Amino acid sequence: MFYLRGCGRWVAASFTKQQFPLVRLSSDSAAPRTPHFDVIVIGGGHAGTEAATAAARCGSRTLLLTHRVDTIGQMSCNPSFGGIGKGHLMREVDALDGLCSRICDQSGVHYKVLNRRKGPAVWGLRAQIDRKLYKQNMQKEILNTPLLTVQEGAVEDLILTEPEPEHTGKCRVSGVVLVDGSTVYAESVILTTGTFLRGMIVIGLEMHPAGRLGDQPSIGLAQTLEKLGFVVGRLKTGTPPRIAKDSINFSILNKQTPDNPSVPFSFTNETVWIKPEDQLPCYLTYTNPRVDEIVLNNLHLNSHVKETTRGPRYCPSIESKVLRFPNRLHQVWLEPEGMDSDLIYPQGLSMTLPTELQEKMITCIRGLEKAKVIQPGYGVQYDYLDPRQITPSLETHLVQRLFFAGQINGTTGYEEAAAQTESCPVARLECSDMISQVQAILLPQPSVAGTAGMHHNTQGVIAGINASLRVSRKPPFVVSRTEGYIGVLIDDLTTLGTSEPYRMFTSRVEFRLSLRPDNADIRLTLRGYKDAGCVSQQRYERACWMKSSLEEGISVLKSIEFSSSKWKNLIPEVSISTSRSLPVRALDVLKYEEVDMDSLAKAVPEPLKKYTKCRELAERLKIEATYESVLFHQLQEIKGVQQDEALQLPKDIDYLTIRDVSLSHEVREKLHFSRPQTIGAASRIPGVTPAAIINLLRFVKTTQQRQAAMNESPKTDQCLRNADRLQERQL
Amino acid sequence: AVNKAEEPQNPPQLGHLAIIKPLVYLTLRLSLPDALIRLPSGSRLCTRRSSGAAAPGSGATIFALSSGQGRCGIAVIRTSGPSSGHALQILTAARDLPPARHASLRLLSDPRSGEPLDRALVLWFPGPRSFTGEDCVEFHVHGGPAVVSGVLQALGSVPGLRPAEAGEFTRRAFANGKLNLTEVEGLADLIHAETEAQRRQALRQLDGELGHLCRGWAETLTKALAHVEAYIDFGEDDNLEEGVLEQADIEVRALEVALGAHLRDARRGQRLRSGAHVVVTGPPNAGKSSLVNLLSRKPVSIVSPEPGTTRDVLETPVDLAGFPVLLSDTAGLREGVGPVEQEGVRRARESCNFLATVVASVGAQSPSDSSQRLLLVLNKSDLLSPEGPGPRPDLPPHLLLSCLTGEGLDGLLEALRKELAAVCGDPSTGSPLLTRARHQHHLQGCLDALSHYKPSKDLALAAEALRVARGHLTRLTGGGGTEEILDIIFRDFCVGK
Repeated sequence: MFYLRGCGRWVAASFTKQQFPLVRLSSDSAAPRTPHFDVIVIGGGHAGTEAATAAARCGSRTLLLTHRVDTIGQMSCNPSFGGIGKGHLMREVDALDGLCSRICDQSGVHYKVLNRRKGPAVWGLRAQIDRKLYKQNMQKEILNTPLLTVQEGAVEDLILTEPEPEHTGKCRVSGVVLVDGSTVYAESVILTTGTFLRGMIVIGLEMHPAGRLGDQPSIGLAQTLEKLGFVVGRLKTGTPPRIAKDSINFSILNKQTPDNPSVPFSFTNETVWIKPEDQLPCYLTYTNPRVDEIVLNNLHLNSHVKETTRGPRYCPSIESKVLRFPNRLHQVWLEPEGMDSDLIYPQGLSMTLPTELQEKMITCIRGLEKAKVIQPGYGVQYDYLDPRQITPSLETHLVQRLFFAGQINGTTGYEEAAAQTESCPVARLECSDMISQVQAILLPQPSVAGTAGMHHNTQGVIAGINASLRVSRKPPFVVSRTEGYIGVLIDDLTTLGTSEPYRMFTSRVEFRLSLRPDNADIRLTLRGYKDAGCVSQQRYERACWMKSSLEEGISVLKSIEFSSSKWKNLIPEVSISTSRSLPVRALDVLKYEEVDMDSLAKAVPEPLKKYTKCRELAERLKIEATYESVLFHQLQEIKGVQQDEALQLPKDIDYLTIRDVSLSHEVREKLHFSRPQTIGAASRIPGVTPAAIINLLRFVKTTQQRQAAMNESPKTDQCLRNADRLQERQL
Repeated sequence: AVNKAEEPQNPPQLGHLAIIKPLVYLTLRLSLPDALIRLPSGSRLCTRRSSGAAAPGSGATIFALSSGQGRCGIAVIRTSGPSSGHALQILTAARDLPPARHASLRLLSDPRSGEPLDRALVLWFPGPRSFTGEDCVEFHVHGGPAVVSGVLQALGSVPGLRPAEAGEFTRRAFANGKLNLTEVEGLADLIHAETEAQRRQALRQLDGELGHLCRGWAETLTKALAHVEAYIDFGEDDNLEEGVLEQADIEVRALEVALGAHLRDARRGQRLRSGAHVVVTGPPNAGKSSLVNLLSRKPVSIVSPEPGTTRDVLETPVDLAGFPVLLSDTAGLREGVGPVEQEGVRRARESCNFLATVVASVGAQSPSDSSQRLLLVLNKSDLLSPEGPGPRPDLPPHLLLSCLTGEGLDGLLEALRKELAAVCGDPSTGSPLLTRARHQHHLQGCLDALSHYKPSKDLALAAEALRVARGHLTRLTGGGGTEEILDIIFRDFCVGK
């Protein structure tokens, strides 16, 4: 009965379906068996919660190991979700039935769609979130997820066994060792531990190890990863100070009001929990030359800025802004942290000046003259694992069935701050589950935690799904860059790596007009249901209905044709510019800015009236019409890319030694390190030449032939065992 | 007696260029001869990163010269894809396709002009029984560069056809199961050799003027796109400077004009194959005709102290620093004169594509940004007193010249030589003809895409037009990845948190 004397307590997430831990806890007859799960998720931050629930949705008995159950869902230091590009990710996570969008719809205090005037393809759904509510709602969700068990505990090490011969990799993970020496076995393990490797906090000239550097547990796991040969890189970032709300003079600042009506993040919600008039405003202020002066005069007291650790190309701190763009006024957004929070998050003021200078600088700023700094800003330096060591399903190349998700892969949260705090001591307290106890808390008030941001939720969902599919020996669920921002994010990371905290921008996305926030469900929900099994029946049916309604609507709109003069009579406010006397389709009329489905249906009630009944459908038809002409060409290109991505490269090629193919040494090294899974991915690696691609094609052909031969041979024992296993699960 | 002291009035459009009294200016416009399009065909030069570019294997029909480059008896041009048969019909002006897999003699003509190109053997291979498995056509034409270039350009003008990327035929053949492994191996070596040759050729040619032009255009476009992308991704959270979009818009429009002019030049063909066009323009009595006479070393134009002596465009071929040049003298630009002189002024403006634009852009634009290169020459420097004030310091770069004394002529000739060398490149290297189809295709594609750039509407759509346009240009120059865009965004804007 090691659970009882073990390091933590079990929390049964599901009381309705799987009584597994409770049953065993209460039954001596089952002891002393070692617990066995399908999937273990280490870490209860954004990536961890998303991964654990996704695995459970896919039907895997899942264990979420977290340092403290009561900190699950604690938000990172940045109190907002979404934004331009990040809002796209949220819609996609939601399309796969992920958590964060639904929870944000229940927890926001300020909802706003950015880029309203720049076209629906680049709308950025965003919200300021109430920390407390988010945490409450997240915990409710996690603890009520069927098949999901939550345990408090810190992981000491991985249990590694012989690799499965049919896959590549040095070894295979089959469970974890906890701090107290106990073991838990699982078929797949997902690591979402943020930046637990050598995190350092920097304020002024002081440097503190983030968390307990000499702490055995984290060292144990870190050492194992290093011993296995994982390549580690170092990143740096920072977070702004927090300001007392009642010390700010808001009356002289620009006020930003939320949208009315609010647009929900989730496809399943028609509205958010709070009325627009009850939501909190944000405020805008600017820096001034005195801020520049303080930064420039105190560079000698600012070791984070001086350090040569690779910083991002963008400006992560007010210091970098002043240094790179002098003599300008920089924006500072004052964001609420929650309905009843006394703190304001000054976005744009991330800094690492010594504490006393931070207050001096803040009080130079308009509206903040009397501001009280409750918690200073600080910088963070941390190690991450080079994401080229993982596949697009987020499984590591080196260790079979080990998945990485979240900041450990070099991504940043919504704003860098979101990500960076994970490695601060406070963050480690709450999200880095290898630490059972925090000794060195640098900051007075633990207001931050969790792996943050959409980049992590995104990876969490994908890792959760794939860990589960791996258990049931189904093919991995990979989102292509032609299918979603998720695909772009993961493809960029796994084929190109990153040298700065990776942030999602819409400019990274080639097929931006096709991959829009409005159609994420069509792109991913159907696949998520069929290929991954992570989507509820209800959501699936809704997406199917939407898809067929859209298709029907578009074909009806194409079929209605009138002369342009007739259209002018029907809808006087539209000026149709056509020199030719050809008939104009209703779909083309809908392209005009001043036309929407309502005005069109007023002009041609039959058969268009019925498409205006569902608001979402009407709006989506309008968006489809806007982009119709470009989408046709984009579809052609997408097909080309997909053809390349359909050509799988054999996973077991040893690029360095293989002799019967001519590749340059440089190309070999690149392929060896990134291990692209498809011809498409290989062709995106810089330095891989067209000739090398042709040679790789040859491999594809060889593999196809080999596989064809294999399929004809009788079932092996392994296959039979798998079949039995599947049957068992279905029973 | 040429430089009599009557000082010209500064024309109104030159406000900020006001020159000190005794000085007069001339502008010379050099236009690019179209025969100098020299960039490699075949592969994208160095990038595989730009996944936004048209991917091989998609529905397009591709064409390429599949026999070796250079002079040969017979050249083979191949097409592959669904529009192959259509292209064959268009080039042979035939209603029916020739019998499959039989060589037939046909007259090929340019579908746009009807001009005959060659009597050639054509072979029609309907898919799937063809080299690539798709519909294919082979044109066996006489191997002169003019014929090959003509056929390639004719194919490029057929809707749905585009020049093939390196290895694209092979890729299609492979995708359709038409190649065995040994063949693929051999072809890979071939493609490797080809891309290497092209790479070397490209490096050489990218030093030339057209490479320079294309890179300049690609740079302008990349920057404009980066700024539009920045506006999309960061316009609401980070404070970008005012006028980001407006600036991008101006740059795109200027690029459109330059590309359009370039393509019109290129298509006109016969004009000035033999040399660059240098136009001398300026206000009346500035000494333009004196300069033309000086440069051509013969009295081409009548000169007199009276303003408005030259009333028409006078062209004379000259050899300048070893380059063949067509030198044009024009009427002085001024308003309110008699009808004959006004017509002369009109022709002068026409001859340099509206001088007002050219002159106004003197200060704003460096010559390399456009195919219009400008040299600002201040004549009558002999009237400057040695102790007196020099030309105003805010003038754009200029040359001082006295047509009377000949002072400054060497400097002017050297400057002209540099400009001409940049425009004409070294005419002895490489045959430009074989790559023209590819060039025209992508430059035209770029221009077409730019015409869809309308930032006042959906900005995502506008940016898409720029992305497509940039994709065409970077196919010629290499590069074109997303990271370049992000680099510019983070360099030009304070984007952070």
